[in-house]
Amino acid sequence: MKTLLDSIKGPWFIAVYTWREGLRRKTLVGFLILSLLVIFGATFMTSFINQATVGDVTTDMSLRLIKDICVTAISIFGVLITIFISASVIPTEIENHVIYTVLSKPVRRYQYLLGKFLGAQLIIIMNLCLMGGLFFIALYIKQRILPTLLLWSVFLTYFEFLIVSALTFAIACASSSSVLPTIAGLFIYITGSLTEYLKDVYNRSGQTGEWFDSLVGYIAYILWNVLPNLQRFSLKTKILELQPNDPPTDVLIPQLVLYGLIYAASGYILAYWIFRKREV
Amino acid sequence: MTNTYEPVIQTKNLSKIYDTGFRGEQVHALKNLNLDVFPSEIFGYLGPNGSGKTTTIKLLLELIFPTSGQIKIMDRTDISSPYVKKSIGYLPEGSYYPDFLKGEEMLKFYGQLYGLTGKELYKRIDEVLELVGMTYARKRMVKGYSKGMRQRIGLAQALISDPQILILDEPTTGLDPIARKEIRDILSRLRDEGKTLLISSHELLEVEMISNRVGIIYEGNLLVSGTLDELLTSKDRIIEFSNAANGEVQEIKDKGVEIVDQIKDKVYLKARDDQELFVAIEIGKSVGLQIVSITPKRETLEELFIRVISLAKIGRSKKDEDAA
Amino acid sequence: MTNKKINFILLILFIASVLLGSYQGNRVEFLRECEAFYRWLLAVGTQERLFQSSEGSEKSDKYVDMNLFQKVSEVAIPILKENENTKDLIDDTLSTPENFANIIGNISNDPIIWQLSTRKELAELRKEFLKSLREKKIQYNRDITYAEAQASGVNIFNLFFGFRKIAASLIWLEVDRYWHQGLLHRMVPLMRTCVALDPNFVEAYLIGAWHLAYNATAKLPDTPQHLKKWSPKYNACVGEKEAFYYLAIDFLKNGIRNNPRNYKLYFDLGFAIYKNKMNDYPNAVRYLTEAVRVPHERWVRRQLYICLEMNGQYEEALKGWEDYKTRFPDNPVATRFVLRNQGKIYEMKAQELLKEAEKINDEQSKNEKINQANDYKMQAKEIWKKLSTEEGDPYGDYRLSLMEAMDLYNEGRYLESVAVLDKARWESPSNFDEASDLIIKIKQEANLPLTVSEKKAVLRKIEGDRCQGMPEKVPASS
Repeated sequence: MKTLLDSIKGPWFIAVYTWREGLRRKTLVGFLILSLLVIFGATFMTSFINQATVGDVTTDMSLRLIKDICVTAISIFGVLITIFISASVIPTEIENHVIYTVLSKPVRRYQYLLGKFLGAQLIIIMNLCLMGGLFFIALYIKQRILPTLLLWSVFLTYFEFLIVSALTFAIACASSSSVLPTIAGLFIYITGSLTEYLKDVYNRSGQTGEWFDSLVGYIAYILWNVLPNLQRFSLKTKILELQPNDPPTDVLIPQLVLYGLIYAASGYILAYWIFRKREV
Repeated sequence: MTNTYEPVIQTKNLSKIYDTGFRGEQVHALKNLNLDVFPSEIFGYLGPNGSGKTTTIKLLLELIFPTSGQIKIMDRTDISSPYVKKSIGYLPEGSYYPDFLKGEEMLKFYGQLYGLTGKELYKRIDEVLELVGMTYARKRMVKGYSKGMRQRIGLAQALISDPQILILDEPTTGLDPIARKEIRDILSRLRDEGKTLLISSHELLEVEMISNRVGIIYEGNLLVSGTLDELLTSKDRIIEFSNAANGEVQEIKDKGVEIVDQIKDKVYLKARDDQELFVAIEIGKSVGLQIVSITPKRETLEELFIRVISLAKIGRSKKDEDAA
Repeated sequence: MTNKKINFILLILFIASVLLGSYQGNRVEFLRECEAFYRWLLAVGTQERLFQSSEGSEKSDKYVDMNLFQKVSEVAIPILKENENTKDLIDDTLSTPENFANIIGNISNDPIIWQLSTRKELAELRKEFLKSLREKKIQYNRDITYAEAQASGVNIFNLFFGFRKIAASLIWLEVDRYWHQGLLHRMVPLMRTCVALDPNFVEAYLIGAWHLAYNATAKLPDTPQHLKKWSPKYNACVGEKEAFYYLAIDFLKNGIRNNPRNYKLYFDLGFAIYKNKMNDYPNAVRYLTEAVRVPHERWVRRQLYICLEMNGQYEEALKGWEDYKTRFPDNPVATRFVLRNQGKIYEMKAQELLKEAEKINDEQSKNEKINQANDYKMQAKEIWKKLSTEEGDPYGDYRLSLMEAMDLYNEGRYLESVAVLDKARWESPSNFDEASDLIIKIKQEANLPLTVSEKKAVLRKIEGDRCQGMPEKVPASS
């Protein structure tokens, strides 16, 4: 137990240190301020849209617009923050050589890596909480009831970002500057969002009867199975319109969380595999 | 002088080859390095730029990995183990520290990585800050420190866990003469307390002042290694005679005694051993010279360094010519 | 452990984690397929239960929804018969799709329907559904995101942060702009685009229907009955205004299919369209009943009970109002409506007893009935007095006047009866039409002269409800 605690302490201290470092980054702060402005702006901009009352039903279009704009803002800025921070935690420290003073301490490489990864997650979670929190307040002011479904939406959004973060982090472990991992992170996000297309390729394959056509189909099927599919997290936007206690949602959410965690673990394993014998 | 203790740091046939460029060109940074650093000593690790000093240090700290050979620290080959790492304090060359932290926050972070917590950690922070003279600047951000302050705080973080071994890369760079003296005194005191220090430096005079043993590395080869006395003091002795005239000097030369120097009426003869010493004294007396002094010949570390490196360069040139 | 061994172990771990991720991904995919199937079941079940029989004979060979639903029902019903919660809900007099649709209609059965959607007994039908989805043969589909991803492959909207929904919102701003400019013809296609992009855009359905039914018809004149045209699709005579009403109804029905658990759509359809615009109380009751079966605001029930009363379902209305009064004792109107319905029930019972008495030959039995009827009348009068004095509702006075007028009429005092009714209708304008109809009826029976407007009303009635193209025998609407 003591050994376990000792092996967790190192990563935890590094995580907190990484989080503190992240707070001071101007680019991150810039993204966050922009996203908060958009969310605040949505509330302000939509206030000119009138409510319509038919019978006793009051239909608030501005509420709908706030939800749409804010969910989009959280998605855009959230993924940019995720990619940016995951791409830079390791390369920056290698570039400025601070890694020498950390790795020379009694910290194993897997602990160091775990600490950096957790630190990046703390920053992403903090940003999501801030953006989600402001969104929550805006909705509460508008509709006077607690928008609990929003919490689930933000919760799922995090696990989508976790996959992107883990894979970007793995690439960052092989890079000495943060430019390449940033581009790779964007590529991962775009690819992850288009993975569904591979299933369509598989479904349409084999129609010509050519062996090459079938081969392409099988390759597409394998890739569709193996690559993380971020489309599966589309529930995060749908959930805001659903009723509470919707049966499929109650089942899908934990499954999606597990999905995110598994791919995050594979991203971390890949990161460790790359970083284990990396010379700094 | 041979050390009867086991080395605290030992490398056996340690080699490191870097692959560079797309065409797979290789750089042999270290070639079969056999290095021993014994307990309670200051080992001065010297060499020109690009000789392999930093590579050696990085290998000891497992920042990079050897191509072949073995490293032992504290008699353990698993140098990544927490036991070994806890015993090492490292001061890097370029002051690479987290700029966004304050001085004491930085020490706290590094102390935590060493496993220090609570009162013990804060007490230790106070002690090392006091030791390096940085108590007044503890609440300032590291990015606001001068070069000298960064060196001091760097030394503080290396000492935070009171490690048994200290690996210092250019510890006095950027410091004023008074600060250098303070640091030298600290290092000497640490050695006297039983710690082992491996210092990589270009400041030969300072290394000569505090080191027990030195090693000179060039192009990955450890050319010489030993105590200062062993390396700098030779069996040669210089006999100083006065009342020498040109004719007497020629007479001495004809009798086969090596004349090292002649300044006005003083002449300096060299004797490689005791027998030559007696012969030289007799000859000097016989031609009517007066003995002023007999002193053993001792190089400075700088002279040794230049001599050794020059010989190595000559040796390499010959090899290149033979190869061509 | 050597470096190679560690690398090998890491490689194995990485491959294992990716394979595990793949397995989990397939699990999620399976659940998403089941979810799309489940949402389709809700949509098509709603269609079957509420709209299928009333949408005329329009059938489409392109879409396979109803056929597939039939097949699903045949597999599902035996399974549901074994379920403790649903076995008692199955009515053997109904067909399997009707039974299944009724079970789907109850929101408390949603978890059961979801479980059903994931069962292996339905695996083949699920596959058929997904295949039909890919081939765009499914008409009623709620899970547009999944459907589009399956059908059209590269889904750029889904890539770009759910722009589909925000595009729908932005297009709605155009609708709002056109509304303020009075360009209705431009609004309608855009409204349809909004809900095509986002079928869960409930506000679009609500406001769109409002525009169609209220604003578009505000300046339209009433089409005379004989100029209206018969619509087989709606099983009704349709004039200018009615055309827009039915457009609004179709729009809301589409919304209901896509959002079967949202009360607002049912409410708008029942209250705003059927009750307020078309005075179609049976359909108003029907859809308001649906509205209260899903999570709803409390005023929805009030409208349902009002419509029940207007539809002549006084017993149910009374029950509803008494229940409402118990739940919400602070509500100021519940007591009034309890009294209103009680009064009407007593009046109704009195009339029934009097009708029965007319058919009885036996004097004693006849007198008994008449006495019972008079008792009920007395009770009704007491209720109306209470309503008028204690609750301050002028409806009580109106009903008392009405009862007095009918008593005078029964005594043959026609002129006095007409005078009472005339006074009553001016004191209670909301009941003007009812009182006017009674006045005409009494005058005709008593051969009293009619006023000009009364003559016009009689002529309108003679013309009847026939319109152009109306078949001789109108099919019964459900």
